[in-house]
Amino acid sequence: MKIKIDESYLSKLEQLALIRLKNEEKDKISNDLQRIIDFFEKINELELKDVEPLFHPISSGKLRKDEPLKPLNRDEALQNVKRKENGYIVGPRTYGE
Amino acid sequence: MIEDIVESLKSGNLTPEDYVEKTYEKIERVEKLIHSFITIRNRQEIIDEVKKNISKKYGKLAGILIAIKDNISTLGIRTTCASKILEDYIPPYDATVIEKLKSEGAVIIGKTNMDEFAMGSTTETSYFGPTKNPWDLERTPGGSSGGSGAVLASGIVELALGSDTGGSIRAPAAFNGVFGLKPSYGTVSRYGLIAYANSLEQIGPMAKNAEDLELLYDVIAGEDWRDATSININKNEYKRDGSSKVDLKNIKIAVLKDIVEASEKPVTSAFNEILDKLVSEGVSIDYIEFKLAEYALPAYYIIAMSEASSNLARFDGVRYGYSAHHDGIWKDTYGKNRGEGFGIEVKRRIMLGSFILSAGYYEQYYIKALKVRRLIKDEIDRILKQYDFIASPTMPIIPPKLGEVVGDPLKMYAMDLNTVIANLAGVPALSQPIGFYNNLPIGLQLMGSYLSDYRLINISKNIEKISKYYNLTANI
Repeated sequence: MKIKIDESYLSKLEQLALIRLKNEEKDKISNDLQRIIDFFEKINELELKDVEPLFHPISSGKLRKDEPLKPLNRDEALQNVKRKENGYIVGPRTYGE
Repeated sequence: MIEDIVESLKSGNLTPEDYVEKTYEKIERVEKLIHSFITIRNRQEIIDEVKKNISKKYGKLAGILIAIKDNISTLGIRTTCASKILEDYIPPYDATVIEKLKSEGAVIIGKTNMDEFAMGSTTETSYFGPTKNPWDLERTPGGSSGGSGAVLASGIVELALGSDTGGSIRAPAAFNGVFGLKPSYGTVSRYGLIAYANSLEQIGPMAKNAEDLELLYDVIAGEDWRDATSININKNEYKRDGSSKVDLKNIKIAVLKDIVEASEKPVTSAFNEILDKLVSEGVSIDYIEFKLAEYALPAYYIIAMSEASSNLARFDGVRYGYSAHHDGIWKDTYGKNRGEGFGIEVKRRIMLGSFILSAGYYEQYYIKALKVRRLIKDEIDRILKQYDFIASPTMPIIPPKLGEVVGDPLKMYAMDLNTVIANLAGVPALSQPIGFYNNLPIGLQLMGSYLSDYRLINISKNIEKISKYYNLTANI
């Protein structure tokens, strides 16, 4: 299934990636994405049916003890927030058009 | 040597004022030419800290100035990842490696320039502008830890930290004529490293000789309860049992023929010259074919971009970072903040990652890339059962001129051909200088089996004695 990066697919990718491209970037990015995806096609030459995917170089993860820890205090945690009110972060609207 | 500087500072032969002044004089002279730092700390603050740290009785790095790549969190010191989106971000905590450095008395002089979010191989994708190679100001210092490579090559400091996702320590080590180690995955905590591709990347040491490289690795390695992927190695036992010692007469090295053939002539000449010297010291060398070389790069970039699209989802301008837009629904706000805050290479990689992980393409690209990764790891493990090390040139080309590759992503990605294999397999890899072509350094890469980091550093010590290429400083 070969993909063609056209204007509508690029717009879908902007939605998926939550990145609104500037108009002057669109042609360049679209062209680059197409070339890179074509380059990725290379791996489809290999016979991989019986190979197990390797997600991570270390197979076993570990858990830490379920003990309470001292977190950052509120001021420290919010020191980089641009919009805050009464110790809370002001976020964007989550509903509506 | 770091040990000598520590001794001089402790004994009073070198005063903190002289040590720091000399460093800042150098910065004033060369920094405007090479732009290796994003943030440099205040001189007086540094003098005070050096004084305080040498007055303590112990500390392997007491009073030593070190430069840190700007994607490693430093309490109270701006950490930007060379991105507009984190231009004014000040971490409220230290990365584990920074805690370890501080506990040994090291003093952070500043944060080094890098490719934005470590995405790049030339340090030209930095929002703050490129770093230049101290050996030739028209050329790139490699990337993404290019600033860390350049501070060493220009002689500003003796130690630096970098991070390596697909060669980001080794590329600048090779292009700057210094030493760099991509450690075995899990031996250095990633807590506090601003994540890009977490199954591939490691923080690692950079230095001007193998002994200092070992000292710095020794300080930063170790298990960390805050990083579930860090592993427990008993460093002292590992070093005491002698398994890290290297006697060149009994060493077998595999050379990856297809990777050497893909390198430029000046690079292969320097590489062959060092191999000849090693053979005359008793090393046995076999040329073998690594049939998966051409699949490593696409597999690496598919995995890296997929992980990037997930890791960089946190940058939305709400809790930290660039935030210019508040109107509209959250998707518009995030989209605009991210569209303006990220540079073009970061956008490319996040968008490709989103594409790869989207319905319909996940199996076709992501899962297949992970299968290729399995084949590569198995093949590397198999070779390293028969041979002590795998050798190749670090970079297939000499340092390119600024602007030569950055505009063409595929050209830039091709530079990583030799280095990505170690990240896919999780094994350690080291780069050290072995020669020059037209005053441009050339690097040798050695890969070892998983957890053979100290052994790699030991063969590097042997090679630097033979090659005489160590403690190099560009004439700038």
